[in-house]
Order: sequence, then C-alpha cells, then structure tokens
Amino acid sequence: MAKVSLENVTKRFDSTVAVDDVSIDIADGEVMGIVGPSGCGKTTALRLVAGFETATDGTIRYDDEDVTPVPPENRNVGLVFQSYALFNNMSVLGNVTFGPKMHGVGKAERRERARELLELLDIEELADRDPQTLSGGQQQRVGLARALAIEPRILLLDEPMTGLDAKLKQTLRQELGQLLDDLGVTTLYVTHDQEQAMSMCDRIAVMNDGHLEQIGTPAEIYEEPANEFVAGFIGTANLLDATVTDGRISFGFGDVDAPDGLRSSGDVTVLVRPDDIRVGDGEGDAAVEVTNLFYQGEHIQATGTLADGQELTLQLDRSLTNVETGDTLSVGFDPETLHVIRSTK
Amino acid sequence: MTERFQRGSLSARFGRPVVKLVLVLTLVFLAFPVVMTFVSSFASDWFGVFPSGFVTIQNWEDVIVGTGVGADVAVGSSLAYSTGLALGGVVINLIVGVPIAYAVARYDFWGRDWVNVFAILPLAPGIILGVAFLRTYPDLSTSGIALIIGYSLLKAPYMVMAVQSSFQSMDLQQIEESARSLGASWPRTFLTVIVPNARTGIIAGSIISWTLAAAEFNFSYIVYSRGTPPLAIFLFNNITNASFLNAAAAVSVFFLLIALVTVSLQIVGNRGTIRRV
Repeated sequence: MAKVSLENVTKRFDSTVAVDDVSIDIADGEVMGIVGPSGCGKTTALRLVAGFETATDGTIRYDDEDVTPVPPENRNVGLVFQSYALFNNMSVLGNVTFGPKMHGVGKAERRERARELLELLDIEELADRDPQTLSGGQQQRVGLARALAIEPRILLLDEPMTGLDAKLKQTLRQELGQLLDDLGVTTLYVTHDQEQAMSMCDRIAVMNDGHLEQIGTPAEIYEEPANEFVAGFIGTANLLDATVTDGRISFGFGDVDAPDGLRSSGDVTVLVRPDDIRVGDGEGDAAVEVTNLFYQGEHIQATGTLADGQELTLQLDRSLTNVETGDTLSVGFDPETLHVIRSTK
Repeated sequence: MTERFQRGSLSARFGRPVVKLVLVLTLVFLAFPVVMTFVSSFASDWFGVFPSGFVTIQNWEDVIVGTGVGADVAVGSSLAYSTGLALGGVVINLIVGVPIAYAVARYDFWGRDWVNVFAILPLAPGIILGVAFLRTYPDLSTSGIALIIGYSLLKAPYMVMAVQSSFQSMDLQQIEESARSLGASWPRTFLTVIVPNARTGIIAGSIISWTLAAAEFNFSYIVYSRGTPPLAIFLFNNITNASFLNAAAAVSVFFLLIALVTVSLQIVGNRGTIRRV
C-alpha cells in the first residue's frame, strides 16, 4: 500500500489535452473516486497512474518515489477493467497466480495466496473453472482476486461494475466497499456512475473536459459543489438564477433569507436539492405549477414551473398520489439548504 | 384471413425443409466425387458407370511403393518432402503473420490499412509468383527454399485472416494491460497470454495454410525442376501418366493426409484449452 500523488499532471494527445494540470493526493489506504462524463479524462488519469500513458508534464509519485517514467510491469499496481480481461487460456486459479508468478513468488506460496483470496471473495469453488464459463459477477470477483494477488501498492478499478445488472451491482457495491475497507488498500476507482462513487469512496475527484473541477468527500461534493457543473453532475440539482442583496436572496418569484455567513453578493446561481424543498405546507415561499410526474417507487419526482418561468424539480412523498399535472403546489426553502454558487452567466 | 394465419405463410411452412434439402444436395454433390474416388482406388476395373473388381490394394501399392507407371518415386518421399516444405511455410507465416495480425488488430499506426491490405490479399497467383521467382532468383528457385518462401507468401493471407479474427474477438488491449500490470514484460505477455488466447485462430490458420501449401500446384509446377517432386507434382504425374485408378489412390492419399492433419490439430487445439497451474 502506498500514498499516490498526481502533481500538476498534463497529458496531451497531439492537439487534444486529455488531462489538464491535474493534482490529486490519495492517502495510504484511501479509496479515491474519479467521476465525470465520458471523455472527461478520468480513464486517461487512471492509465497515467498505471503507467500505460506517460505524462506530458507533471509528476506521479507512489509514496515519495517518482514513478512517472517507470513501465507498468514495474509499478506493482492491481488493475480491474470493465471487461475484467481474464485470461481464457488459464483456469481461475491460473489467473490469480499469474501475477505472483511474474513477481517470482514460489509455486506453493502463490497457490496458497490465491486460495486465500478466492476464499475471501467467496469463490474458492471456482478455482479450476474456465473463466469463460463464469457469470459477470463471478468474473468480477476473479478479476479482483487476480489484481489483489500481487499485493499491489495501489488498486485501480476502471468502471468494474458497468456491465452488471442493477441488483448485482448493488450487492457487489456493498461487498466491494466492505472488502476495500477491510484490506485498507489504496484504491483509485474510476466511474461515470456518481452513485457508486458516493457510496464507495472516501473522497471523490470530479473531472470535466480534462480539468479537475472539485475534490472532496461525497458529502462535500454533494452539499457544497464548487460550481454548476459539479452541482449538476452529482445528484439531481435545481440551479436557480438569483441576486443577493443585504442578506436576502431575490429570485424572480420572490425573496428568501440567505444562509448565514454568505459572502457573495450580486448575481448568483443557487443550488437547491429536490429533497431539501418543503412541499405543500401552506406557508410556502413560491408556487409551482406541476408539469410532469415520475413515479419512482420510493418517491415521486415532479417537475414544475415557477412564477418567473424557471423550472424546479421536487421530490414528493409517495403518499401524495392525488397530485396531478396542472396542480399548483406551494414550496418552501430552508435557508441552510441553499447553496450559493458564483454565477457563471 | 384466419385460415391463412393458421396455415402460416409459404416460407414459414416450406422454408426450413427447402433449405435443408438444398444443403443436403450440395453436400452430396461435393462429397460424392471424393467418396467415389476413394472407393474406386480399391477397384481393379472401371469401365462402366461404376467401378468393379473389389477389393484390391494394387493401386495403393503402386502409389505408396512407387512402382506404378505414374511416377518413379514412392508417395512417401514426395509426401515427406511436401510436408516439410509446407511446414516451413507455416512456420514463416507464424513468425511473420501472427505479429502482423496482432499489430493490425491492436494498434492504430500510420499505414495500418495498407499493411492489412497487403497481408490479407494474396499477392499474386502462384503461377505469376513462380515465374517471378525463376527470373529473379534463378539459383534459389531450384531449391526447396524457394518453394518454402513461395508457399508462405501465397498462403500468408489465410494465416493472417484467421489469427486476426481471433485477436479481434477478444479485448486485446485490456488483456495485454492486465498482464503487464501483473508484472509481465511485453514479450512475456505476448507469448504467455496473447498468443495462447488466440490459439483457435492460430490452429485454424495453420491447418488452412499448411493444407493449401501442401497442395499448391501452380507455383510448384513453375519452380520445381529436379529431385524429389512436391506432392502436387507427384499427384499430377500420377493423374496424367497412370490409369485413373492409380490416380484415385494417389489423390486418396492426399485426402487422408488432410483429414489426419485437421483432426490431430483440432485435438491438440481442444486439449490444453485451460492450462492448469
């Protein structure tokens, strides 16, 4: 295990800048997520850490060792891909012992280590199976066991759950989260699925267009996003145009108190999460005309239009089955749940 | 309309049986000459519609021992010679063709499309390549080396195509990168992970290119000048100079050989699918 640092790392492919001056410090034993939309540079960042790409500028360190020029086979990183990339010419046990064998571990010891990992991942009965005959979930576990067998300095997970069904994804997410906690292995988890990242990672780095937009704990990213992109990418967000004057936030549809300690003034964008909006208590700050309703099982998501024409997404209790499109709901905002972002418009 | 719906359309009712019939007829049409040739190689006469005078091994003896009028050498020496030549061609194709197939499937490089085109298009018909060899390398052309090089050039496309399709069916980049992250150098990754994963394509390519090389007539006919004749020339001599029944035995030797090679390579391919540790 090691702490891993990306220091002002840039990667250019001809005229395209895939990763632009990114700095991330991953503490020893920490699970760091990198999230962002397709093409944001998150996979390139992972490949830079693994050694499959060489940084155009900047330095990558494992502990204090500069590994920027070190080839991947000498970095001792465990890698699990979306496709798992198991070696079909070997049995499951062969896959798991491959890494230790390359590291010169003796036959008896590598078999012992592989058996222990297979047992830990609850797939010891698959040891002699052909990887092609395994289900997606089983292959994922084998891929993980194979990556852990070399006792990696850092574990790199590249969208490891993308191909799995929702139920299995949920189960594996819990198991993998627990496993990473137990093992205390430094992990870089790359995914476009912000929900997975939120539930599994100690901290999350949000990337967009090669830039690092924000880095922080899941709660910080969700509740105090640095900008509109982060606010919109993580969770469902209402981003409302407003003006701050004298401790009040003026929306086109009315005024509300600003949160305590707000320093911004002038034109701003206000983030309010749907689950922070009070609905239908009669003492609302605004009225919303419901335009769409989406039943989502645990709750009902409603979208509506405010008096000034801005759109608002609400989360309704599923008991509110009498609400219909066209109805007008009164909504209230709690000042402490409003997050003010400097307006970029 | 209901009645027609219940009966189904014409294609639903007769489509499958018609396709089966066409398939069976095609197979019979293709297999019949082979079977007849094999059967007649054990006959002593063939004057009417069907051969007669079963069972004799005289035709096989003529071919195998080399006492027939068709050729003055035993089939064994021609067979061994051609087996070696074709094997040489396959070895060259494995050494050159597999990396080319890998490079084209794995990397995006300048001129990739041209490499692909030249690798998978047969460069020239055997007869043209043969004449070119004779002109360019007059000394080399009378040796077995010319035959080996010619066979490998002519049959390379079959090897490259078969192996390339194997490479394209796997996630080559992620498999390679997984192996390297586990500590394997690139050569080791290529030899212990990439090549064994493409085993099916490599075996298929070897079977096809070996079989076609062993039977290559045009190039052999132009380049071969003296000494033990390659199998194709041996068969040709038997077919043109001897009775049809002798020729049938000679051709049957080749059929049997191809069947034997195909089956044994398939067995080798299926065994060892999973390497135990």
